[in-house]
Amino acid sequence: MRDVAQRLLATSQVVAGPDLHEAVMVSERLRIPLTRCIGVDGFASLHRRALLLAAEEVPALQSARIDGEGRLGGLERSADAAGGEAAVVLVTHLLGLLVTFIGAPLTLAMVHEAWPEPPRADKQSTPKTAGTETVR
Amino acid sequence: MTSKKRDQEKNRVPIGQLRTGVPGLDEILCGGLPEFSFNIIAGAPGCGKTTLAHQMMFANATKERPALYFTVLGEPAIKMLRYQQQYGFFDDAKVNGVIRFVNLSQIVLDQDLGAVLEAIIKEVEASKAGIVVVDSFRTVVRKALGAANEAELQGFVQRLALHLTSWQATTFLIGEYVEGELRDNPVFTVADGLFWLYQNVERNSIVRKMQIMKLRGQTSVPGLHTFRITDDGLQAFPRTFGLVGESGHVKGRRRLSTGISKLDAMLGGGIPEGDSLLLAGPSGGGKSILGTHFIAEGLRLGEPAIVAVFEEIPAEYVQRADVLGFDFATPQKEGKLEIIYLRPLDLSVDETVHEIVNSVKRLGCKRLVIDSLAGFEMALAPGFRADFRESLYRMIAALTRLGVTIVSTVEIEEDFISMNLSNFTVSFLADDIVRLRYVSINGQLRKMLLVVKMRRSGHSIDMCEYQITAKGMVLGEVLRGYRGLTSGVPSPLSASPDGDVPPIRIKAEEDPSG
Repeated sequence: MRDVAQRLLATSQVVAGPDLHEAVMVSERLRIPLTRCIGVDGFASLHRRALLLAAEEVPALQSARIDGEGRLGGLERSADAAGGEAAVVLVTHLLGLLVTFIGAPLTLAMVHEAWPEPPRADKQSTPKTAGTETVR
Repeated sequence: MTSKKRDQEKNRVPIGQLRTGVPGLDEILCGGLPEFSFNIIAGAPGCGKTTLAHQMMFANATKERPALYFTVLGEPAIKMLRYQQQYGFFDDAKVNGVIRFVNLSQIVLDQDLGAVLEAIIKEVEASKAGIVVVDSFRTVVRKALGAANEAELQGFVQRLALHLTSWQATTFLIGEYVEGELRDNPVFTVADGLFWLYQNVERNSIVRKMQIMKLRGQTSVPGLHTFRITDDGLQAFPRTFGLVGESGHVKGRRRLSTGISKLDAMLGGGIPEGDSLLLAGPSGGGKSILGTHFIAEGLRLGEPAIVAVFEEIPAEYVQRADVLGFDFATPQKEGKLEIIYLRPLDLSVDETVHEIVNSVKRLGCKRLVIDSLAGFEMALAPGFRADFRESLYRMIAALTRLGVTIVSTVEIEEDFISMNLSNFTVSFLADDIVRLRYVSINGQLRKMLLVVKMRRSGHSIDMCEYQITAKGMVLGEVLRGYRGLTSGVPSPLSASPDGDVPPIRIKAEEDPSG
């Protein structure tokens, strides 16, 4: 799911590399279809769990919070490498939790609802995985 | 039929039917689900309501007829998706395509019935859904009842039904209801179809049954039908055994040889085709061996056969036949013989018969041995044992209707006062009855066979001695010169030892069928 997370972040990229702001944009974009399907509480609890797991790996996320609607906040914009990695780790955990619970096909179906046009693989920073995993 | 009635039928609006995707359920519904109907799936927690709704939705959701599944406060949607995808019917390619899950929990919690109705209508109109599920509708109503009065609730249900029907949606509302709520609940009044699922624990077994309590616009098979939840979802076992529409086999004049010519002669030429013969006798009396002869003879004549065993595994049955000189392994491999082993302790008769009927149809089976009825009864969940006699009646009627000739063995607890025909009071079910009996003669426990009943023909009234040999059952002479043979402790008619019948002497090379 790291590969998918990187591609989703790449679609929201406004600066040179992924940063925490893009994690907010990706999670917000996922929030809409996921909330529709699993409810506000369902999404918010998954997002909180993903944040907790991600914060254990990336200390920069420890100040982040998930509100009652499941929105990610409390982050300082950071365009450095650490911020980029934090964004990737957080989105990877969110997608990973979904995969754990409902499996990869349904997770990708939900991602597809948020991104009807598959994120372009050529935008991602890790070419070795380009084209090996597609978002339906 | 009068011409007026013919015209009425011609002008009647046709009601389309949707397949349920649940094996057996379409037969219970006499074809399928009425299209555009507004249905309730009710029952206690854990009885399969959500799975049934999913199964029907996955079977019917198409691009032309998309489905919407509204979840409300019950099982969290993420868990529902996690568990439901374990079933064989779940097609993840349909999710978020022709099937969409919409969570209404927040609206139900925060707003009133009007907002819930508006949200459902908005989603249905936007998606052009042809299948709509609300799970659980009970929670919608329970929440609403806190604020709304009964009239408001009735209005809500009516508007919902009206809108969904106008929108040409077939709807399922899922709810954890109890039967006491049937009266006065507006949901049940408005519903076109009412599917009630039951799950009872009977001693150590779980018995699941379903009932179509209401179905507008078409008939359904009345009564309780057992069902099972398997890896592929629900499977229903209609009380009609999958035989609706079967014309029924008219019993012919052909006689089926038992493989023992002397017994055939006693039966008036063999077992009449399509009959049900009850083979009653004590433990160790040779009932299973006689059943084996019957099957072996059929196979020799090229007639496909089925043996339903409950007390030994198929390999053992084949091995035992082999010891008697009958090769069952080859016809089994060739698909001419099927040995069905049914041992789970929570079977229903309907489920068992379903299995047998399927095999009968698949093989074009002519001969069936059920070995034994006692084992069959033990394999049933305790709750079904109470209905065993009635169920046997339906089973035998269904199978003989297919033209199969049935030999059922039944063990008798022997006493030396009377001669029982079966411990199940099922002898009336049999067209023909053969009784095996131990008799005590001259310090020997000898074996005796008699034909008690042949429904459609005459038969021998002789009581013959028989022995079980390495080659199977061998019939000997008629036991003459005794009174009270049926008691098992006969006395000679005369005090002279000349009146005694010597035991059968069997030569090693003797043909058992001779």
